[in-house]
Amino acid sequence: MLLASVDYTRPATVPEALEALASREGAAPLAGGQSLVNVLKNRVASVELLVDISRLEELRSIEASEGSLEIGACVTYDEIDRSPEIRAGHEIVSRVASHIEDQQIRNRGTIGGNCCLSDPTNNLPPLLIALGATMNIQSGSGLRQVAADEFFRGYFLTAVEPGEILRSISIPALGEGAGAGYSTLSVASDSKAIVRAAALVRGNGTIDEARVALAVVGPVPIRHSGMEEALRGGAATADAAREAAEAIGEDLEPIADAHGSTEYRRQMARVVARRAVDEAIARGGENG
Amino acid sequence: MSAPSAPSAPSAETVVAPVEPGERLGKWSGKSVPRTEDRRLLKGQGEFTDDVWMHRQGYAHFARSPHGHAKILSIDTSRALSLDGVHAVLTGEEAKEMCEVPFFQIAPEPAGRLEEWPLAVDKVRYHGDAVAVVLAESRDVARDAAELVEVEYEPLPVVVDTVAAADPDAPLLHDEAGTNVAWHGVFDYGDIDWALENADHVVKIDRLHFHRFSSTPLECNAAVVNWDPGTGVVDVKSNNQMPMFASMVIGPTLGVASNKLQFASQDIGGAFGNKIGSYPQIAALALLSRKAGRPAKWTEYRQEHMLTAGHGNERTFLDIEVPVLKDGTILGFKVRAFDDAGAYLHYEPLGAVIWSQVTPGCYRLKHIQVDYTETLTNKCPTIPNRGYSRLQHLWLIERIVDTVARELDFDPVEVRKQNYVQPDDYPYETPSGCVYDSGDLPRSLEVALELIDVKGWRARQRELGTGSGKRIGIGIGSTLDSGTNNFGQARIINPDLPFSGNGEAAYVKLDLYGEINVDIGTTPQGQGHETTAGQVVADVLGVEPSAVNVSAGFDQRHNTYVAFSGTYASQFAVTGLGAVLGGAEMLRREIVTLAAFALEADEDEIEVEGGACHVRGDPERAIPFIGIANLAFSNNAVLTPELRERISLNCRYVYTPPFTVPDPETKTGELTLTYASQIHAAAVEIDEETGRLEILDYVAVDDCGRVINPQIVEGQVQGAAALGIGAALYEAFEYDADGLLQQSSFYDYHALTALDMPMMKYADIESPSPFTPNGAKGMGEGGGAPLSTLCSAIQDALGDGDALVADSHNPWFRIHELLGGGADGAPRAVRVESR
Ligand SMILES: Cc1cc2nc3c(=O)[nH]c(=O)nc-3n(C[C@H](O)[C@H](O)[C@H](O)COP(=O)(O)OP(=O)(O)OC[C@H]3O[C@@H](n4cnc5c(N)ncnc54)[C@H](O)[C@@H]3O)c2cc1C
Repeated sequence: MLLASVDYTRPATVPEALEALASREGAAPLAGGQSLVNVLKNRVASVELLVDISRLEELRSIEASEGSLEIGACVTYDEIDRSPEIRAGHEIVSRVASHIEDQQIRNRGTIGGNCCLSDPTNNLPPLLIALGATMNIQSGSGLRQVAADEFFRGYFLTAVEPGEILRSISIPALGEGAGAGYSTLSVASDSKAIVRAAALVRGNGTIDEARVALAVVGPVPIRHSGMEEALRGGAATADAAREAAEAIGEDLEPIADAHGSTEYRRQMARVVARRAVDEAIARGGENG
Repeated sequence: MSAPSAPSAPSAETVVAPVEPGERLGKWSGKSVPRTEDRRLLKGQGEFTDDVWMHRQGYAHFARSPHGHAKILSIDTSRALSLDGVHAVLTGEEAKEMCEVPFFQIAPEPAGRLEEWPLAVDKVRYHGDAVAVVLAESRDVARDAAELVEVEYEPLPVVVDTVAAADPDAPLLHDEAGTNVAWHGVFDYGDIDWALENADHVVKIDRLHFHRFSSTPLECNAAVVNWDPGTGVVDVKSNNQMPMFASMVIGPTLGVASNKLQFASQDIGGAFGNKIGSYPQIAALALLSRKAGRPAKWTEYRQEHMLTAGHGNERTFLDIEVPVLKDGTILGFKVRAFDDAGAYLHYEPLGAVIWSQVTPGCYRLKHIQVDYTETLTNKCPTIPNRGYSRLQHLWLIERIVDTVARELDFDPVEVRKQNYVQPDDYPYETPSGCVYDSGDLPRSLEVALELIDVKGWRARQRELGTGSGKRIGIGIGSTLDSGTNNFGQARIINPDLPFSGNGEAAYVKLDLYGEINVDIGTTPQGQGHETTAGQVVADVLGVEPSAVNVSAGFDQRHNTYVAFSGTYASQFAVTGLGAVLGGAEMLRREIVTLAAFALEADEDEIEVEGGACHVRGDPERAIPFIGIANLAFSNNAVLTPELRERISLNCRYVYTPPFTVPDPETKTGELTLTYASQIHAAAVEIDEETGRLEILDYVAVDDCGRVINPQIVEGQVQGAAALGIGAALYEAFEYDADGLLQQSSFYDYHALTALDMPMMKYADIESPSPFTPNGAKGMGEGGGAPLSTLCSAIQDALGDGDALVADSHNPWFRIHELLGGGADGAPRAVRVESR
C-alpha cells in the first residue's frame, strides 16, 4: 500500500481521544496530516492507529484576553492568518502563519502539528520560543505546562509523552514598548528554510529584555543567550543589534547540507538574528 | 489505399506540389489561434498513460538499488511472491535470459562493448538502478512486494566525478568495456595554435563547471505494456516521446519485430527530452507481461523519477585558452571538456557531437579546439534535457565572452555586438560546417537592452554604491536553438552507424463526407501540434482551422511515421509542419483534379475556398468537399479509370530536409537545418549579507523565423526561461561521496514555481529561414539562455573583485562565497597573457 495499512478513529471529545491514544502503543494523533501522512507514505515511521483530533472543538478555539492569546492546537495556519484577535495582538503570528508553504497546506496544517512534528525547518517553533509561549499538554491525569523553550527535544521529538496531546498554546501579551521580529533565509519562495530567527525585544529606548531564537542550526530551535545578554541593557538601535549578533560564533555548529555549509549557516544565523532584532526594535518603537 | 506502406501510395517525388511550399500560408498561420487541445486538457478530459486501462492488467513496481555501486550477491524473491495478490517477480538475471541481445550501443568500441539489459545483472551501478520488477493486483501491493525483494549487496568503490572517472585507476563501472571513457575525440577547427601565438592577449580560465539538473515534467514516466501471447504483438501505451528510437533499441533485445511492437500515446504531460529515456523500463515491463501473461502497468513515483528517469548532462571544462586581438576580436578558444553520462549510455554518447551544432555559439569564432571526453560515472544516466548538449557549450562561450570583456576592459555589450555573426553574414558557415540560416543578433540584443532599460539599471547600479548592502548586476545571455538534426552526425561519434538525414511523415485526407483529417508521426507533450497543424491545413485547403481534425497523439497502428518520428529536438515547426504542408498540398491537388472533372473545367481555373471548389469567376459552378469525397469513395464508377487509379484523397507526405552525410574525419557537416536565437538580458539585485538574488527585470528576445502561432511560441519561450532560471538558482542533482543522490524529492530539489518567476518581458524578431518550407525554425528547447544571463549578471554585480562565476548553479551560499572573493584559499582562476 502507499500507506502501510493503519487503523483510524475520530473521537468526539478530548478524553476519548486520550483514551484512544492510550489504548495502543502505536497510536498517534492526526492533526492537519500535512506532515504525518507524508511520513507514512514514505514509510519512515510506522503508526498503527491514527487518532484524528483535527475536528475536536476543544482544540479549535482562539481566545484573547488583555493582549494574551490561547490558541487551540488544531487551529489551522489559515485561521491564524485570518483571525482578527491574533492580528490585533500578535500580528507577527498571523504573518508567519500566512507564509507557511502554500494555501493548500495552510488550509489544513495546524499550529499544534507544526510544533509537535519538531522538524527543525518548521516556521512556528522559533517564533513561539521568542514570544515566550507556554505549551499546554493534556494527559488523562490532567494538564501540564511546558515553556516553549523546553518543549522541543530533538528531531521529531517533543515534551509530549505517549498518551498525551498538546491541547493549546498560550502566548503572553507583548506589552507596551515590546516588539517582535522574524527573519528567514530560504532556498527560494515557498521552499525549504536554510536558517531562521525570531526575536522579542522589550524596553523603551534601552533594551530591558531580549529573546532571540534561532532555527535550522541544529535538531531543535535554540535561544541564543550570548546575543540576548549582549542586547540587554543596551540601546535599542540597529548598531547595537549588529554588535550583539557578533556573539553568535563558534558555539553554534549548524548542520551542513546541499543548501549550506556549517560556516555559511553560522554566518547567516548572525544575519537573520540581527534582522529579526532590527524588526523587533522597529515594531517596539511603533508600539511605545 | 490507406496503409502507409501500400505500394500504390503516391511518393513525394512524383506528386510534389507545383506551388512554392508555404505560398498559401498566411491567413491562419501566423495568428494566435486558440489551442485546440486546451479544452479537453483543462476539463480533465485528456488521456494520459496513467488513464489507460487494459483488461487483466497488473501493476508494476521496481525494486531499486540503495547503493551507488555494488555487487549483487543474491536476490531472494520468495517473500515478495508469497504476498497476497502478487502475480510475478522478474529479476535482472531472468530478464537477461529472456532477451536476445543487450540494448544496442551508439558508442564505438571499447565503450560499445558495454552490455545493458532491461534490469541490472550482477551489479548495480547507481543509486536507484533497477534490480527486479514486481507485478501485482494493485499499485499498493506491488510496492509492498518490491520492498520484500531481498537483495544482498557488496558495496564497491564509487566514482561520481567525470574527470576522476577518466583516470585508468578509477573504479570501473562496466568490466566488459574495460574503461569508463564512453567516447573521446578532438574537434579541431581552424588553427588554434596559430591564433594563440598571434593574438595580442590570451585569456586563460582554469575550470568551469556546468551542473546536473532536469526538467522534472509534471507527469512522470508511465507505460502499460501487453505482450499478447496469441498474436505475439507487444502493445506499448506510454508517454515515451521518441517511440521509434525506443522501438529500434528494444525490439532486437526483446526479439520482437518492429511490426509487432506497437507504440501509442495520447496526451503527455511534458517531456523535455527526459522521456526519451524510458525504454529500459518499457523493455522490462514487456518481459514482465510476457512472464505473467498479463498487461503490466507502471506509473513512476516522483522520487523514482528524480533518482532514475534521467538527468541533464553535467560538463566540466578545463584549461580554457582564448586568443583575443587588441580591438576586441575573439579568435576562438581551446578547451578540454569532460562530460558525465552517468552509469549507462542512454542516447549517449550522441551528446559528444550534438554541441558542435553550435560550435562558435553566436559568434564569428574561427579557431576552436575542443578535446572532448565523455565518461561513465556512478550516477543516474543522463538523457537529453531541453537545450541538450548545446546549452552547456553555449554557457561556456558566454562565460568566455564575459570574462574576456572583464579582463581586457571591453564593454560586454560592444564585445558581443562586434563578435556576433552579422546580419549580412547569413547564410553563415561555422568552422564545423554548419550553416546558420538567418538572424539579426545585434538588433535582438538592442531590443533586449531597451526593454529592460539597461541605461536606467546602470545608473541605479552606480547610485547604490558601497555600503547599501545591495549590488545590482546586469547580465546578457546569447544562445541558439539548433533544430532539425541531421542524424548523420552520429557517424562523427561512430563511423559505422548507418544513420543520416531526418524526416517526418503526415497523412492528410478527406473522410467519407468530405471532412478533413490529419495524422502525424509526432508525439506532442504540450506543444500544440493539433492547433498548428490545423492552421497550416486550413490555409492550404481554404477552410477554418476548426474544420480540420488532427488526431490527438500517436498510434503506430494508424498514424504514419518514419524512424525519426517523435517529438524532440526543436523540429516540429519544420519537419512536422513540413510534412503536414506537403500532405495538404497533395490533397489539394487531388481535390482540384476531381473538381475540374466534375465541373468540366481546367484545373487551373479551380479555386478552393470555404470547404468547396468553384470555377474562377463563376461561383455558381461549384462542388463542395462532400461532393469530392462522394466521387472518390462511394460513386467511383462515374470517374475515368485513370482518375480511379490515381486519386485516393489519402495523401501521405514525408518531409525530408536537404542534408548530406557529414564527414567523420574532419568532424564537419550540416548538423542541423535551422538556428533560432534567444537573446536574454536581466537586472538582478544581490543581498551582500546572504548572497540571495532577486531578479528585478528580465527580457527574452526570440527569433525563430516565421512564427506559426505567436501565443504558442511565447509559451515555449516562457517555459524555457523558467526552466533555465530554476536551474541557475535552485535546481541541482548532486551526489555525495557514496554515490547517493542528495536531492531526490521536491523538498530538496526546488523546482521553480510561478512565485519565483519574474514578470518576464518578451519580444520577437522574425528572420525567416530560407531553408524550410514555411520559413519557420524549431524553437521549443531554447539554448539555456537564462543560465548564461544570470551568471553574467552575478559576475557583473561582483564588480572588480577577483572571483569568477565558474559554476552554472548559483545558490545563495555560492553567490555569498563569490562576494567574499571566491572559495577560501583557491588560486585566482583567470589569467591574462598579453604581448
Ligand atoms: C510540501 C510541504 C512543504 C512544507 N513546508 C513547510 C515549511 O516550509 N514550514 C513549515 O513550518 N511546515 C511546512 N510543512 C509542514 C506543515 O506545516 C505541517 O502542517 C506541519 O509540519 C504539521 O502540522 P499538521 O497539523 O499537518 O500535523 P500532522 O501532520 O497531522 O502531525 C504532525 C505530527 O505531530 C503530531 N501531532 C499533531 N498534533 C498534535 C497534538 N495536538 N498533540 C500531540 N501531537 C500532535 C502528529 O502525531 C505527528 O507526529 C510542509 C508540508 C508540506 C506537505
